Amino acid sequence: METIIYISLAFLLSFCIMAVMSRSILKSAIYLAAASAALGVVMFLLGAKWASVFEVSVCSGLVTVIFISAISLSNMKIEDVHKLYDDKKRMAYLPYVLLFGGFTMITFVLTKDINLTVVAQSTMEDFQNIFWNTRMADILGQITAILIGGIAVIVLLKEGAK
Amino acid sequence: MHYLDYIADTFILVPLAAIILNNICPKKFAEANFHLLSGVVTVFQMLAVVAAFFLMSENHFSAYPFSVLGKAISPQVGVFNLTSVSLVFLFCAGLVSFISVLIAKRTIDANKISYVNLLMTLLIGMNGMLLVNDLFSLYVFLDVVGISSFVMIALFRSRTDLEGSIKYLVISALATIFILTALSFIFMQTGSLSYDVINSNLLKIAVHPLNVMLYFALILLIAGFAIKTGVVPFHSWLPDAHQSADTSISVLLSGIVIKVAGIYGFVVLTQLFAGVPAVQVSLAALGILTIVAGALLALRQDHFKRIVAYSSVSQMGYILLGLSTGSMLGLVGAIAHVFSHATFKSTLFANAAALHEQTGTLDINEMGGLQNRMPVTALSSIIAFLSTAGIPPFMGFWSKFLIITALWNTGHKILGGIALCASILTAAYFLRLQKKVFFGKTPAKLSSVSEITGSIKFAEILLTAITSIVGVLFPLILLYLQSLNLV
Repeated sequence: METIIYISLAFLLSFCIMAVMSRSILKSAIYLAAASAALGVVMFLLGAKWASVFEVSVCSGLVTVIFISAISLSNMKIEDVHKLYDDKKRMAYLPYVLLFGGFTMITFVLTKDINLTVVAQSTMEDFQNIFWNTRMADILGQITAILIGGIAVIVLLKEGAK
Repeated sequence: MHYLDYIADTFILVPLAAIILNNICPKKFAEANFHLLSGVVTVFQMLAVVAAFFLMSENHFSAYPFSVLGKAISPQVGVFNLTSVSLVFLFCAGLVSFISVLIAKRTIDANKISYVNLLMTLLIGMNGMLLVNDLFSLYVFLDVVGISSFVMIALFRSRTDLEGSIKYLVISALATIFILTALSFIFMQTGSLSYDVINSNLLKIAVHPLNVMLYFALILLIAGFAIKTGVVPFHSWLPDAHQSADTSISVLLSGIVIKVAGIYGFVVLTQLFAGVPAVQVSLAALGILTIVAGALLALRQDHFKRIVAYSSVSQMGYILLGLSTGSMLGLVGAIAHVFSHATFKSTLFANAAALHEQTGTLDINEMGGLQNRMPVTALSSIIAFLSTAGIPPFMGFWSKFLIITALWNTGHKILGGIALCASILTAAYFLRLQKKVFFGKTPAKLSSVSEITGSIKFAEILLTAITSIVGVLFPLILLYLQSLNLV
């Protein structure tokens, strides 16, 4: 199982780098969806089944649909969808820097006595209790965050506003 | 349910209700009366804090756990907790938000409904941060504050607005990544993110010399909250965000957002990691660097709001020094400086709004001799400057006095001496500001300028009165709090 976790983490890292480095916003959104799916696999294998479900359905599914809908509705010309970088040479080294950093961190963790694979306790049966009682503060925070998202869309994307 | 339950619930529910009311009212009515709705909510918050304070002191509660909407109270994670420290911050949030509304009444012509919505979500975020007793919940509401602030800075979507807000968003996102990573490390070490559990478990872990993960978590937490506070060397976003945003939003950023999102995080950090010397050393180093660097950078500025923004950076250093002492006196001094900074900094931003409305500029080189034409603005500005510089009998003197005394008592005499001498730098940049704006010869194009009227003038007078009266009465207030065993 640990092998699958490390492979999934490698996919996660790769897709995240590709999402940042991609010159197409559409491809970035798809790479982000793949990264969320890889993260969902890791969560599932570590025992956080509900978190995995939400990660795959919301982050990998719903958010990607919203991104792709927004891109298609924006009527952007295909050449405008590609991002242009002024400092191509510097950005070209970024994946190597990230991979080196990731390799260093993994080596550091493996040589030190740090327990990484902390398996989550089962929460299936007390899901309702946790959501509505124990984590009430987080639910209120998330509701407010969703509200701000709606307000931000109105403020930032409203046509005709200066 | 105790009366405190009803009062405590209002900190989250009243702003939420205001958002609903703001959006179901007819648009023209909501725009015409936007200042009334938001003003009522902010004044209500201040009154609720005062009521909660008297109820808590009458019942000898040092802290009051509660759940929103009256569910069964449980000491487990997820429950809110009202403490005496959070009451001070809650009052400051209400006061500064009220001042923002007074300024916005004059300065905001468009997006009024969005302004109210964003102010209410910002208030929910700040109140939530101050009431939770779990680090992950703190992080959730921290994100709420960050996103609200980002959208508020970009409210009018001019190029400068968007530039300032993008800069804030990117740097703020870095801070939240640091904080979230630190939380994951702490969770791995302690098995919980509840303040009570962390507090009891951390001391057992912290003394282990090779606990690399915990120290790494500390570094990330300090860096994250330092970015949110705008201390040196993480301050680069602050002046641009302040300058580019509308003044009603700048007063929120400097007056309360950096305190709740940053300073309150440090307060929580110092309480959770009370036995770890590295925290105190880090805060002392950051504090002294911030005081001096912020003051030196303010000396070079010519834009009124940038001078005030760098002054905020410098004053945050005093609060960090107070927290670094690890003593009750230092904590009291730091909290007192949070309150005094909220008042005198809000005064200065009200002055900026008045000057911009009447003169059309905030470049201090284009102003001069305005003390006769704008006497109320000039007087309030001078009193705010005296308070900032720590001149008695204003509020700023007492808070700095407490901090420097705490430094002296805990053996940090050199730091206390540097902090005292840095007040000279504070006086220097503000004297330069006052001289250029209010004294000297008036330029010809400003010869017809008159004093600001209406809500901004009221804000200036109110804040000046608070700075002066609380300053004069501060020893009595301190004695009263001592009699209640709160300090």
